[in-house]
Amino acid sequence: MNNIVVGLGEIKISNNGDDVLVAYGLGSCLGIAMYDPQLHLAAMLHAVLPACDPNHTHDNSCNKYVCCGIDTMLQMMLEKGAARNRIVVRMAGGANMLTTSGFSDIMNIGQRNIDSARMKLKELNFKISGEEVGGSIGRTVRFYVGEGRMAIRMMGGKERDV
Amino acid sequence: MKDLYQESQFSEQLRPLLEVMAGEGIRSAGRGLSQMIGQKITVTQPAVSLVRLSEIADLLGGPENEAVGVYLRAEGQMSGQIMLIFPYEKALHLVDLLLDEPEGTTQQLGSFERSALAEVGNLSGSFFLNSIASMLGLEARPTPPAVMVDMVGAILDVIIATTAVVSEYVLMISATFLQGEREAEASFWVIPDPRVLEGFMNKN
Repeated sequence: MNNIVVGLGEIKISNNGDDVLVAYGLGSCLGIAMYDPQLHLAAMLHAVLPACDPNHTHDNSCNKYVCCGIDTMLQMMLEKGAARNRIVVRMAGGANMLTTSGFSDIMNIGQRNIDSARMKLKELNFKISGEEVGGSIGRTVRFYVGEGRMAIRMMGGKERDV
Repeated sequence: MKDLYQESQFSEQLRPLLEVMAGEGIRSAGRGLSQMIGQKITVTQPAVSLVRLSEIADLLGGPENEAVGVYLRAEGQMSGQIMLIFPYEKALHLVDLLLDEPEGTTQQLGSFERSALAEVGNLSGSFFLNSIASMLGLEARPTPPAVMVDMVGAILDVIIATTAVVSEYVLMISATFLQGEREAEASFWVIPDPRVLEGFMNKN
């Protein structure tokens, strides 16, 4: 098993069955994965923020935004021959890490990331086939390229599928 | 880790200023903590650094490492974030010290233990901000702290997400609190809001 780390604002793509795409310790960050089962092609985005300034220049540094990152990830999948009607989408993360009274909902970046992803995916006509989002606990997300499955693990817990 | 000295714009003006003020503030926080636990706390030399967001988890052993983060914001004329982070085992030791229990008593961090850690954050944050206020005459109030017992990556997301809007780097002033033979160990991070830093730049 090769662990391929998907760091902050990164997208990694693979069609190698030995690869595992992994995003460690997602708090408010959101891990979104696309998978084409016919090509055994998988990509994962580690998004940090919900939305970008609509007038910005689209380059690799804006993949940290859910909206841009999803666009870029889709492009990367399509360039490798993925078909839109085959792509399966799953996501995990978006926790609210600050649940004390001193912090307003404005700081619930996790929920805003989730909402932004739902909106963007709906706009692109993708259904979300699996999700493990929200709550207030961090998750490590793994996508096993060979098996086409996504799994999460929380601190002190066992891995379970999304 | 990118050193502030490499940013000529910042180095001459901002760094010494931050080191002196925040340094004194952090030492003051350490003294407050000493009083709270009735044990001497050593504070390592506070340092100012500019760290790439993608690397801050590495400062604490990596994003999957289990830790406890006590997070609060400062609001007012000075604003920013304060984070006190302990490796998980050290947090247990600290709770033992706070509750005057023999080392090894605390095995889990339930709500009572977390309240004790929140108090540590509250107290050290308040001492820090009071020190800044008396040095600069700039008032700031701490928010009630949030205690996060989780993986380092998840704990740091709040800092990452709030910073990522404006920069790939976070400027922090940090030091380590040590007690005795490293029984209790905590990193104390102060992250000024960017506009506060701009204010300093413009004044000088």
